[in-house]
Amino acid sequence: MPIHEKHLIRPENIKSHDKLVMDGIDISGHWSTFIETRVVKDYNESLQDEIAALPGGEYVHRCWQCGSCTNACTVNAINPDFNPRYWIYLIRMGMESELLRDKDIIWQCVSCNKCTYVCPREVAPEGVMKATAHWLELKGHTPQSPSTIFDDVFSTQVIETGKIEDSLVVRNFFQRTGQSLTQDWLIEMVKRMVAHLPVKMLMALGIATVLRPRTKNWGGARDAIKEYVAEQDAHHRKALGLESLVEMAKLEAAAPFKQAAE
Amino acid sequence: MNAPVLIVGGGPAGLAAAHALSSVGRPNILVEKMDRLGGAPILSGYAKLVPSGEWAKDAIGGMVSRVMDNKTTDVRLNTTVKSFDGQPGNFSAVLNDGTTIAASAAILTTGFTHFDSINKPEWGFGLFPDVVTTTQVEQMFSSGKGVHCPSDGRTPKRVAILLCVGSRDRQIGREWCSKICCTVSANIAMEIREELPDCHVYIYYMDIRTFGLLEQKYYWRSQEEFKVKYIKARIAEVTSNGSQLIVKGEDTLVKRPITIPFDMVVHAVGMDPNVDNLTIASIFGVKLEPNGFIDRKNTYGIMGATNREGVFVAGSATGPETIDDSIAQGQAAAMSALGMMNIGMAAE
Repeated sequence: MPIHEKHLIRPENIKSHDKLVMDGIDISGHWSTFIETRVVKDYNESLQDEIAALPGGEYVHRCWQCGSCTNACTVNAINPDFNPRYWIYLIRMGMESELLRDKDIIWQCVSCNKCTYVCPREVAPEGVMKATAHWLELKGHTPQSPSTIFDDVFSTQVIETGKIEDSLVVRNFFQRTGQSLTQDWLIEMVKRMVAHLPVKMLMALGIATVLRPRTKNWGGARDAIKEYVAEQDAHHRKALGLESLVEMAKLEAAAPFKQAAE
Repeated sequence: MNAPVLIVGGGPAGLAAAHALSSVGRPNILVEKMDRLGGAPILSGYAKLVPSGEWAKDAIGGMVSRVMDNKTTDVRLNTTVKSFDGQPGNFSAVLNDGTTIAASAAILTTGFTHFDSINKPEWGFGLFPDVVTTTQVEQMFSSGKGVHCPSDGRTPKRVAILLCVGSRDRQIGREWCSKICCTVSANIAMEIREELPDCHVYIYYMDIRTFGLLEQKYYWRSQEEFKVKYIKARIAEVTSNGSQLIVKGEDTLVKRPITIPFDMVVHAVGMDPNVDNLTIASIFGVKLEPNGFIDRKNTYGIMGATNREGVFVAGSATGPETIDDSIAQGQAAAMSALGMMNIGMAAE
């Protein structure tokens, strides 16, 4: 029988077995291809409130599905699956399972804000994309990747010292991503840097590695930033029904663990 | 031409016709088969009406007492017409109590019958007690008992309202749109959200027809103020997992099958032709249109005229109709009857 609505079948729903025997009958080969059920089983009634609790998502409830955002969208022009209107609909109706299917493309918003300008209801779809990406992250749907680890290492250092010391960023990043500092290409790069960089700059780099540069009197700013970040994070996690980072830290402190980052 | 005008049916259209005739001093007889006047809004226990928001018992009750208090209208309850003969200006009708009355004209305001959801068995009505109709939910409000699941009396946490039950459904020979169910459902959804703020209401629709000025007041307001959710879907069946109802179908916007659990499912039942329309048509010698409602002779000529001269029709006897328009049509039919008699008297 031909499959009339092939576009409804997601690749991950197609299951095939190299070898399959059912009731003593060998149905190996293409006979063993099955399409898994693709049914929406429930609504998450708090989804809209959760997105609305995150920065950028505040006005998602205003949407009346005109589609101007998707029509204006820079990314949609390249990837038709990138559809802000559709995601806003899923958020408003609480269709979490459908939203999660697109978790690997939602974050691709380039924040050009064309949608923000065309939206007749001031939904700020770009903000909703941001909030949704944030939601996916907080809910643990987006695993850490080298780039998120780099961001974390970078921002942690800025917050701690008010400055960036490149070699420390690189070393911490390599450590947290489990990469060796004695890789051939890295050694080669350092060698060439030593050979070609001006002596003054090399000395500055060397000094910075030992005496880590700090912004003068940074402590007050650092504490204020940390407090604000923790406060916001606690606020967002609470809205999503998640434990706050402080609570998580307490739980982690109770169990022995080794902090990877400095 | 001096005989009273016979009005058949004491709902909004009939009450409006009676009041209109009485207000110009024209004697009329209002025949009602039930023991009370008021028609569907009263007999079926509607709660707050669309779009006025007034309680049916106040709004339609006011129309009833206005007619009851006026001696120009001769109200006959528990009465039906058995035969109707004669010519315009000179009809005679035999009632079910055996009496014969003279009538100069007749206005049929015989109304509609609520669609019986039993005729849509796949949507669970009659199988599961928590599948109810909009009429039943109206009664939950008007009786003061509040919204509850009939099975065990619990207040629902999640309600589905299925639109177009017995409307726009060729499968079961109901090709018409019943006009009012979208708006009534939006109204009910808002009332449920108001009474039970923790209860989420989903409306499953194929199109939303909150026509005219009702769009803002019901369609948008229900979404923006009351967070009612509208899901464009085709519902295949309503089943049960033992503790909850399961609505199965296809979300046609997301293009995905759905099987969603609900505590209560409400059928937005449509308006069928009055089940007695074949009898009424043969007694009064009026034609029915293809769907079984009483046919109007024209649209732009004499308001409410039927194929039989001297017999007029108004309200939901002609097809799905709102209360407001039924009232307007009742009054228009009264005017048509008066006009006909005026011409008749001038000729005499």
